[in-house]
Amino acid sequence: CSSLAGIMLLEVFLVLGAVIIYFLFSKKKEETLPFKEGWWGKGEKPDTEEDTTIRPFKVETTEEELSDLFRRLDQARFTEPLENSCFHYGTNSVYLRKVVSYWKNQFNWKKQVEVLNKYPQFKTKIQGIDIHFVHVKPPHLPEGQSAKPLLMVHGWPGSFYEFYKIIPLLTDPASHGLSDEHVFEVICPSIPGYGFSEAPHKKDFNSVSAASVFYELMLRLGFNEFYAQGGDWGWLICTNLAQIAPSHMKGLHLNLASVTNMGFIHLLSILLGRYLPGLFGFQDEDVRRMFPFLKKGLYRILLESGYAHIQATKPDTVGCGLNDSPVGLAAYILEKFSTWTDLEFHNLEDGGLERKFNLDDLLTNIMIYWVSGCIVSSMRFYKENLQKGIGKQKHERLTVQVPTGIASFPNELVHTPQAWAQKKYTNIVSFHFMPRGGHFAALEEPELLAEDILQFVGKVEKEQLWRKK
Amino acid sequence: ESILSRIRSFEYSQKNAVLVPVATLGVGGMLVFWLRSRHKIKTIEMGDGWWGSGERPLKGKEDESIRPFKIETSDKEIEDLHRRLEQARYTPPLEGAAFHYGFNSNYLQKVVAYWRNQFDWRKQVEVLNKYPHFRTTIEGIDIHFIHVKPSYVPHGRAVQPLLMVHGWPGSFYEFYKIIPLLTEPAGHSLNEGDVVFEVICPSIPGYGFSEAPHQKGFDTIATARIFHKLMNRLGFKQYYVQGGDWGSRITTNMAQMLPQSVKGLHVNLVFVNKQGLRSMISVMLGAYVPWLVGLTREDVQRTYPFMQKNIYDLLRESGYLHIQATKPDTAGCGLNDSPVGLAAYILEKFSTWTDKSFLHKDDGGLESKYSLDELLTNVMIYWVTSSIVSSMRFYKENFSKDPNLTLHARVGVYVPTGIAAFPQEIVHTPRVWAKQNFKNIITYTYMPRGGHFAAFEEPKLLAQDIIHFVRKVEQL
Repeated sequence: CSSLAGIMLLEVFLVLGAVIIYFLFSKKKEETLPFKEGWWGKGEKPDTEEDTTIRPFKVETTEEELSDLFRRLDQARFTEPLENSCFHYGTNSVYLRKVVSYWKNQFNWKKQVEVLNKYPQFKTKIQGIDIHFVHVKPPHLPEGQSAKPLLMVHGWPGSFYEFYKIIPLLTDPASHGLSDEHVFEVICPSIPGYGFSEAPHKKDFNSVSAASVFYELMLRLGFNEFYAQGGDWGWLICTNLAQIAPSHMKGLHLNLASVTNMGFIHLLSILLGRYLPGLFGFQDEDVRRMFPFLKKGLYRILLESGYAHIQATKPDTVGCGLNDSPVGLAAYILEKFSTWTDLEFHNLEDGGLERKFNLDDLLTNIMIYWVSGCIVSSMRFYKENLQKGIGKQKHERLTVQVPTGIASFPNELVHTPQAWAQKKYTNIVSFHFMPRGGHFAALEEPELLAEDILQFVGKVEKEQLWRKK
Repeated sequence: ESILSRIRSFEYSQKNAVLVPVATLGVGGMLVFWLRSRHKIKTIEMGDGWWGSGERPLKGKEDESIRPFKIETSDKEIEDLHRRLEQARYTPPLEGAAFHYGFNSNYLQKVVAYWRNQFDWRKQVEVLNKYPHFRTTIEGIDIHFIHVKPSYVPHGRAVQPLLMVHGWPGSFYEFYKIIPLLTEPAGHSLNEGDVVFEVICPSIPGYGFSEAPHQKGFDTIATARIFHKLMNRLGFKQYYVQGGDWGSRITTNMAQMLPQSVKGLHVNLVFVNKQGLRSMISVMLGAYVPWLVGLTREDVQRTYPFMQKNIYDLLRESGYLHIQATKPDTAGCGLNDSPVGLAAYILEKFSTWTDKSFLHKDDGGLESKYSLDELLTNVMIYWVTSSIVSSMRFYKENFSKDPNLTLHARVGVYVPTGIAAFPQEIVHTPRVWAKQNFKNIITYTYMPRGGHFAAFEEPKLLAQDIIHFVRKVEQL
């Protein structure tokens, strides 16, 4: 049957040809992302030059602010949960009552403000809005060493406060049992619209805008070369920064690495990856975390993305009540600290919150949203980034050549295998499966994250990888 | 080699002896399964339920009394509301945002100023109490309803019982303007022929003055069953049902559950599962050769561009549905504590679902179709009963299971059906698509104007269509 063999050979060539053509055309260009100019202040941009001074800043509170909060906590109206519903319908109001009682009677905001102020904070105007940031220098430097600047960017519903436990491990590793081969000075800004950074007054402030603003910030602080670290929105902003200014970024470290540009290969690997992991570059741990895909991928995303859907379409509506009811705000934010730390916490009546965090830390983060009144502007960031759909924006198609380190935490909502990440991050220097921890890595597992950052920087510095791009 | 010669040379071997029968069985099995799954069940089973707290009491019959009910308020309630309105914290909208980011807080402040200074809740409570209210316990929870009889019935005229069911974020109050048009059509210059109604408007359990279920799993089927029991308890054996939003699905379930009790089903929103190859082809061809797939010109105008009107618009407007179907207790928590937040959330729907172009207006176009008094009265019903969270749970209970696998997706609707298709409804369902589920469509009307809250916005148009439909059914 020579014709049969002939047909088969033709088929093989056709498939090969298609694959080659696909790869040729899908090879992503190594463009840089252009810096995004903008002016986000109120009204018209003034003709005068922008004030570029860096002013020291301290968080403050007043009696009025506290008594207003207590009044609202006292008048809170709760709805009884359904019987045996735990956290399946959202934050359980029986547990929420306990949190509110702690908030009223034990939580000490004045003391927490002092905690917040223990690190030096500053504000400076960039592109028309005041940018707030924490800047911590190492208390002492080993002989002959200089501090490496490290930009760390938070996400939603987090804040600069998430980094308060990890900062000392990076600025003073020796005192915490870590190697002091590399010591950092850490800069944690607040994304515009979050916490003490002014919210943009104009539409269209997205992750590229934030990256451009932070780029200007680093330059203004005098840093020509720096490292960047991020998770949640911080992942995207730092990625954009690496695409805008690759020559300034020595290394990019991420604890979340989503893939938004899915293609045919991804679909194929979802369908077959469980059976032919090697073919798609999946390791055993990848398979364990990703499959069965319907349960751990699609359904999970559908079940957990309601907040993103409404925030990406009607942020001013959904945030309105949350800016007026601290209890509503707490319920909304705490639900994420429960589910995104461990999905199994759904089945606990208290959402497992106090297993990994303490109430003081959780409430301090919530208070930052409350006292700054920023919940609505924080939600608008979803609309500005997602309104055109996922995978449609220019920066999602560009790759990253900056040396990248990825810490993959097991309880992150959705797992991205290295095989997928390296299509976008073409220069992955380290990719580690972390033994435990979820979405809020810096707050939940600061030592693990710090260790991974240190080993990543160690690799980059040892071989001066940033020079080889 | 030719195919024939290949078949002739098909060897009988052990391998083939196994493969061929197995393949036949496989194909045959699939065929049988496919045939059986397409065989539609005729009705939905009624079943039973218990929604009170704790265990269902083993002994004793349920209290079936129907108790008169009056809505009340107090100084304390009004003062608490005023205090919260005064202390509201707003976030300024982005420049040029109109209603594109949600409810515009500049306009919201105006609404709240009216609410605080001019809106008279005591007066509105009197308005609410002008129709007789009742409560009765069914399946362990208190069901609230209003029951309005015609004040004057001409000699020999039969009065048709009509159950009207609201949706989210509405309430029984949405029917207050249409009720008199149905109980007294002559008095409102409606050409009624010989049709007059007595109207029953219950509140869905978990909404307004109906008690919220304490157990999980309370869906539209449970609601349908409870409303059948209600009508039965009121002494009705056969009745008409009407609904939009959740009301549409509930009344449809009622028709699927006890077709012998439902004389006619009238809906102003159609839930249709547009699944299947046939539907996809119909959608694709419909843009070019609508007549071939049974679409009218009006259908085409309302349905296309398909991606824009059905996919993009739906995605843009369904965030609330997504979060309520997954985390209702979280989404509703703040809204039960902040009346301003509650108003923004609810009134946004009254803007966008009435007319999509209202998105571009700084004031959301709300007062062009409704008065602030009536909008705020509806919001107050959610506020004074603290029912926002339980109202949202209804979404989770109904969407948790795959909508296409659930029973009612496969059961057809055989009772006489009337459909009023309003132009500004969120999604348009052409008659030819509705026919997949509704087997007995008596009337299908393209309404000239109006959106999602039909009874509230265009009571006369809706009343006319209901009367027209019922007249036709009575003549059958």
